[in-house]
Amino acid sequence: MIEFKNVYKIYDTGVKALQDVNIRIDKGEFVFIVGASGAGKSTFLKLIMREELPTGGEVIVNDFKLSKLKRKQVPYYRRTMGVVFQDFRLIDTMTVYENVAFAMRVIGASRRDIRSRVPYILGLVGLQDKAKSHPRELSGGEQQRVGLARALVNNPALIIADEPTGNIDPEMSYEIVELLNEINRRGTTILMVTHERDLVRRFQRRVIEIKDGAVVSDSVSLEVPYAAE
Amino acid sequence: MRLSSFRYLVKEGLRSLWQNRFMSLASIGVLVSCLLITGGAYLVFENIDSAFRKVYAQNKVLAYAQEGCSAEQLQQLQTRIENIVNVEQVQFMSRDEVLERYKEELSDALYQELLGENNPMPDTFIVTLSDLSRFDVTVPQIEKLDGISEISSSRDIAVTLTNLRSVVLAVGGWMIVLLLVVSLFIIVNTIKLTVYSRRLEIYIMKSVGATNGFVRMPFIIEGIVLGLVSGGASYGLLYFIYTRLSELFDFESFKLVPFSSVWIVLLAGFLAAGVLIGALGSAISMSRYLREKGGKTQDINRLD
Repeated sequence: MIEFKNVYKIYDTGVKALQDVNIRIDKGEFVFIVGASGAGKSTFLKLIMREELPTGGEVIVNDFKLSKLKRKQVPYYRRTMGVVFQDFRLIDTMTVYENVAFAMRVIGASRRDIRSRVPYILGLVGLQDKAKSHPRELSGGEQQRVGLARALVNNPALIIADEPTGNIDPEMSYEIVELLNEINRRGTTILMVTHERDLVRRFQRRVIEIKDGAVVSDSVSLEVPYAAE
Repeated sequence: MRLSSFRYLVKEGLRSLWQNRFMSLASIGVLVSCLLITGGAYLVFENIDSAFRKVYAQNKVLAYAQEGCSAEQLQQLQTRIENIVNVEQVQFMSRDEVLERYKEELSDALYQELLGENNPMPDTFIVTLSDLSRFDVTVPQIEKLDGISEISSSRDIAVTLTNLRSVVLAVGGWMIVLLLVVSLFIIVNTIKLTVYSRRLEIYIMKSVGATNGFVRMPFIIEGIVLGLVSGGASYGLLYFIYTRLSELFDFESFKLVPFSSVWIVLLAGFLAAGVLIGALGSAISMSRYLREKGGKTQDINRLD
């Protein structure tokens, strides 16, 4: 599903963000990516989303060799994944329903598909009653569930969650990860970047720790303490 | 593309037009000014051209016979003129006939007195040239003929009009090019503002896998609508101004070209220019944005 082979990323500014990273994540896995800010987590995600290209090495995601991907193919590649952002990135002028439908519309889905799919997904994240609300009327946890619904609506094989609980109070955070867990149980691969040790400890999943641009640990056991913050 | 997608894109284009209505209005204002000046230049040119054609069509050379030619001599003279290359037609007008032309303007007594031997008018040949550009070759040949005293033509007016026409053509041409550039610049900036205000949406569109074509479309529609509205408004304004001017310049000797003979060129030109400038301006603005910042997270983070 996701494979990093000897990946290096050095930015034009000279920052060495990733150095010789080798990772393999299989279909259906749920993986936490942990590490201090500036460790290289964001770069790791950007390489997967193909917002950046590696300076060296090869990134393969969902059978796409990213270095070989042509510009025109990038949109179609992106449709194989859903992204959840720390700051939700919902459009305030649109209702909850419209925010989710938006993700379908812009890839050319038919109105009929949108009408049947959006309510289903909103039900899945428990927001069927909030369809007509605007994002600012919702709590942080609810807003993130809208973000999750939007990431899910096009039925991606992979969900990338970049600090999805960073702007949410702890109780709600647990719910969000529980939701991700549920989605994972249905077969979607989940990649979640986080700072929060408690969550990682509670969910007993594979944890990859990145430090100074390198993978320093990769295990399911959480007995290994990681150097967060 | 699906019909529902198309409808959606059009709606989005109009929505953003409305959301940025002040900027939209400002750019329509500038576009209208540009189109008005361009259309005005076209109308000036069209009027000069029409005047030019009129003079051209009437551009007959009058050749006056010397006094005291006999009818036979005049007949010979006519044949000699007719034989000159580039002379298409020669019409003879006797001095009596010439005088008669002025009958209306003269008092009766004076007219009676001038009839016959006292007639000051010369016998006249009205010569039509087939190719006016060879005027300078043909006219001296007529002038040299024995029995011709003088030549008169409206050539000076024709020359003046020719010069004026080429000046208007050159100045107008450059002005139009300049105004097109200005209009394009305005559209590019208006759309840039829209793009800026909708960068979150663009980012989300890109991140869920919308193609660049799809992302661009509402902005192009916005640009085209701006162009069309400007084109229509310019046409209406120019119609109003021009018909008022036509009423002002309604003389026997000089009339403006009727609006009915230029409207189609103006309307088609305005709308086509509007659509073209609008679409091109948005396309430039958008592709620049997508190339530089398309789908980059950092921007959103910094601007939010």
